[in-house]
Amino acid sequence: MPPSLTAAKKKHEARLLQLPGVVSVGIGSDERGREAIVIGIADSNPKIRARLPANLEGYPVILRIVGPIKVH
Amino acid sequence: MANEFITIRETLKRNRKDLMQRANVVATGIGYKFRAGQKTPNLAIICSVSRKLADSRLSSRDLVPATVDGTPTDVVQSGIIRALQAPTDRLRPAPGGASIGHRDITAGTLGCLVEKGGQKYILSNNHVLANSNQAQIGDPILQPGPYDGGKFPDDHIADLEDFVPINITGIPSECPVATTTVNFLNGVAKLLGSNVQLRAIDVQQLENLVDAAIARPLNPEDVTDQILQIGTIQGSISGELGMAVKKSGRTTQLTTGEIEQVDVSANVQYGEGQIAMFTDQLMAGAMSQGGDSGSAVLDEANRLVGLLFAGSDTTTVINRIENVFSELGVGL
Repeated sequence: MPPSLTAAKKKHEARLLQLPGVVSVGIGSDERGREAIVIGIADSNPKIRARLPANLEGYPVILRIVGPIKVH
Repeated sequence: MANEFITIRETLKRNRKDLMQRANVVATGIGYKFRAGQKTPNLAIICSVSRKLADSRLSSRDLVPATVDGTPTDVVQSGIIRALQAPTDRLRPAPGGASIGHRDITAGTLGCLVEKGGQKYILSNNHVLANSNQAQIGDPILQPGPYDGGKFPDDHIADLEDFVPINITGIPSECPVATTTVNFLNGVAKLLGSNVQLRAIDVQQLENLVDAAIARPLNPEDVTDQILQIGTIQGSISGELGMAVKKSGRTTQLTTGEIEQVDVSANVQYGEGQIAMFTDQLMAGAMSQGGDSGSAVLDEANRLVGLLFAGSDTTTVINRIENVFSELGVGL
């Protein structure tokens, strides 16, 4: 049985969050309303994009430019 | 119609002073008369009163006449009209949404009141009330926060009671020296025929659930369970994807948004080179700026969803309220 979306995210998030430029990993939805893994990145640097997968364990991955997250 | 309006305006101008002197009248204006709860097409002089009383309870001198120089009047209850309270002012009682802070910080937001052992406490962030782990229990909390002119002892509203320590580390694996060293060592390992590969993993990234703290008001009368521009909290609810939310904060005041991501893990900057990793967060669109930290986040029915603490230009990061409650041992 394939892992759930949550399990797939949990399996990969520690590694993803260690990559330079990755600021967040969460569960959101794509433009068609399907649940997806959303990776927040610091800027639109193509080097960051090139390192990130298009899907994880078969689940779609969406990249979102979030910018650095700071305490408010 | 236009002529009628001009006539009524002149009538009001002549009689305004007399009407405003009557008991409980707080405003006069021109509007459509209401009869039995229905708007009529007839213009009238509207007298707003702080409290609507039966004619029999008012002296004839204070009664608003049924007509003024032939123009009908209407009396509506508006309550007392106050200037809108600025969240950066000194407010007593202090509501949710107001500026607050530990004496060594700039300013954040008073979230709401919570309860523990029958005592009411002010809820906000660790980095607002406990200066990001640097404070001592019992330190004075000022309302407004120091940046907004709060001074000790005049604006001392509460004492720090408890906070959840935040595990703050350096920037993960971005250190170029560490990466170079690891690459070099891996080169050596290869030369030596070793299968062992080293990776640039820095000190174990400790996970955080909340940036939260509570402070005990010096006097229960100095705080209120009202939240500016929102009202009172109606229980709590677990945040879900797509949920419409709002907050009232010191800087951007009332803003609304939607929960766009759940189960979020995020690296959050606590100043230059200082990062803390948070898990199980809610993420909404942009609805916060510096100084809004500590705001209570509610759904459309005023149910408490979370505690706002961080954000970027496009996002807002929110602790789940159930995690805040369990980590601090508090409730509503």
